[in-house]
Amino acid sequence: MSTDIKSKKAPSRIQMQLADFWKEFKQVKFGIIGLIFLVIFILITIFEHFLIPFPEASTRWRDITYWEDNPRNAPPVWINWFTEKDYTPTTYMNNLEFEEKTISPTMSVSTAILEYDYNYDVPPIDLIYRGRFKGSFTLNIVLERPDGNTINLVNKNFSSPTWKDFRVAISNEAKNAVQSFAKRFQNVSSQTIKVNSTIFSEANKEIITNPVPLKGTYKFNINIIKTSEDTVIEDPKFIFSGAVSGILGTDNAKRDIWSGLIAGTKWALFIGLLTSAISISVGVIYGVVSAYYGGFVDSIMQRIWEIFMNIPLLPVLIVLSAIFKPSIWSLITMMCLFFWVGPVKTVRSMALQIKEETYVEAAKALGASNGRIIFKHMVPILIPYAFASMALNVPSAILYEATVSLLGLGDATIVTWGQILHDAMNGGAVTNGLWWWVVPPGISIALIGMTFAFIGFAMDTILNPKLRTR
Amino acid sequence: MYWRYAIKRILMGIIIYVIIIFIYSFLFNTVMEETLNGQIIEQVNGEMVKISQVGTDPDYLLEYRERRIRELRDIYHLDEPLVSRVFWRAIDTLTFNYGRSTIMRSFKGETDVIKIVLERIPNTLILFTTSIILDILIGVWLGIKKAQKAGKFMDKSTSIITMTVYGLPSWWFGMVMIMIFAFMIPIFPSGGISSVPPPETFFAKLVDLLYHMALPVITLVFIGFWGRAYLTRNIVLGNLQEDFIMSARARGIPERSVLYGHALRTSAPPILTMSLLSLLASFSGALVFEGIFSWPGMGNLYWAAVQQNDIPVLLGNLSITTLIYISGIVLLDLIYGFLDPRIKVGGKA
Repeated sequence: MSTDIKSKKAPSRIQMQLADFWKEFKQVKFGIIGLIFLVIFILITIFEHFLIPFPEASTRWRDITYWEDNPRNAPPVWINWFTEKDYTPTTYMNNLEFEEKTISPTMSVSTAILEYDYNYDVPPIDLIYRGRFKGSFTLNIVLERPDGNTINLVNKNFSSPTWKDFRVAISNEAKNAVQSFAKRFQNVSSQTIKVNSTIFSEANKEIITNPVPLKGTYKFNINIIKTSEDTVIEDPKFIFSGAVSGILGTDNAKRDIWSGLIAGTKWALFIGLLTSAISISVGVIYGVVSAYYGGFVDSIMQRIWEIFMNIPLLPVLIVLSAIFKPSIWSLITMMCLFFWVGPVKTVRSMALQIKEETYVEAAKALGASNGRIIFKHMVPILIPYAFASMALNVPSAILYEATVSLLGLGDATIVTWGQILHDAMNGGAVTNGLWWWVVPPGISIALIGMTFAFIGFAMDTILNPKLRTR
Repeated sequence: MYWRYAIKRILMGIIIYVIIIFIYSFLFNTVMEETLNGQIIEQVNGEMVKISQVGTDPDYLLEYRERRIRELRDIYHLDEPLVSRVFWRAIDTLTFNYGRSTIMRSFKGETDVIKIVLERIPNTLILFTTSIILDILIGVWLGIKKAQKAGKFMDKSTSIITMTVYGLPSWWFGMVMIMIFAFMIPIFPSGGISSVPPPETFFAKLVDLLYHMALPVITLVFIGFWGRAYLTRNIVLGNLQEDFIMSARARGIPERSVLYGHALRTSAPPILTMSLLSLLASFSGALVFEGIFSWPGMGNLYWAAVQQNDIPVLLGNLSITTLIYISGIVLLDLIYGFLDPRIKVGGKA
């Protein structure tokens, strides 16, 4: 019978309460803005893989080889909009089409022609050709410049019976070829030349001392002469390691900061939400239990609370992290251990009032157990308050994690915004003015904090009618 | 009556401090003992080198080494059961006997942890009292203005700024400020408390100190006063809706004196507590801030001790920080009790 009634039932008290709450929440403009931001952050987390150019950023953040083709300390690409000179952006050419010609049974030549429109003033830092191979081959790269000159950039043999990576950096490999090319036009005795600026400069008398960029289409002829039958080459890439790179530039370990920032979003949300959800739940239940039982239990519980209240949180967290070198899980646990004290006092005073309500008395008279009264009749009333303080606690949890990470005590297996700032601090980003490395992580922390502050303060205004302005 | 309350509160604070120190020494017992072991062996080895220079027979040396290690372990109670070890460690901490640092030195080169920590307290206090005073002045003033015109443009826009600043890490803001005002537009020093070498005369020293304090104080105040203003606004606004305000207005008392005479007077105790409470919170939060500005205070000490993994300094600094923190809370309650007559008379059950 009872299930029958329930299926048609009027919404329960909690549901009604939440519906009312939502109705009022919709009225608060900045609360809605906060919610929109929250949805954006969640979407970023879900679609992380489509948003970042380096999908393994999260797992291989500290793997130097994953980032080695990027330029170091390069500003973001969009500074081109604001500067007089145009900087070459980093480009990855992954789809090279090779045409294969068999010369003899053991020998074949694959050729790819890469056309590159160069319309910039500042040349790339480096040109890199890389891939994986098995067997043996000779790599030959010939550059045809827009002015008709050709440079034989690379001639190099590779051989390995097993799978192996190969990586050719033109700035290193083509030094001699480019030097002799440049000396045809300007004779400067044994001066070290900048390979990349020479490649992309007009061939005139001042090609070395005062290079003028030569714009136009550059053709890179990549010839792979396979000298054994079983030679296989996999995912060949040609990379222009630019003077500017990515949406937010790179750091001093050549990492793409945009990728790190997006990969860090999920950790910020995770740390913030989990810590505040656990600690506020504990705090609310603690406060209710303390108020409900009263007397001896109450005073003991209040004393324990007072002790926790008197512990300076951040210094203790720093010392604990310094000594125990925590993972992200233990850090969250440690934060929960201290964060639950926040709502206790307010909850206790609210619960003291609820305890005197007639329906609690009625439930008692009906013989309801203590647990039932606490969880069924008292805690639900406090749910809106609990949500408000959860929202307001998320930023502090994120902030504490960031602060611990800033000191270099974070979990080294993940990437968080605090850790990016720690690297920036140690990498001299502040002294060298590498703003694209310092500003975005902090803005992200502030934005996520603002999101939850908007939501939390909006709930606060609803819960405290006195604060309403009309 | 107030004195009874005060003494009770102070005693309570001391008891809590003792309990927390016991918790610390339980938590950090293992790592502290490892450090102590290392230090003992280092000390004995040092003594051995001295003796062996005089030329003594190797048997005696070996025997001496063992005896000395035993003696020193006895001093630190290292061979006793866990409970008594934790107890003695806590007693040491309570008597400010933090031992010697492993790597770090005080400005004068001493290795006593207590001296290393103590010489940094004034620096921290100078920085934070200055900024908190400015912070409270600006914050309360703005808060009253906001409450006066609640719901108007000024109130709403500053509230939005408050929420924007809410999750902003002060140390990050410090980094950005240094980047802009010390390196891009070099008008302030990038850190430290005085120029190198420091100026001679007292007046020049003072100017130099103010010059170095300017950027950190501006940063702290700029981050801080928004929250203070929001809090003040809420408290004053809450009081403005009380009945006595309505009756005051009904009696024809001018709005100015309603606001400053009636509303603000009742709002003063909570504003003061909240301000001091957030001062305490920011005190522990802004410890990292000192590291960014290389301000030679207690926060910077955490930073340096973490970097050099100097456990005794870290733990000594933590104990002192806790002591200051608890004293602050006790002091706060005392002030609050003094201002709020309800506590004076009745007190908590």
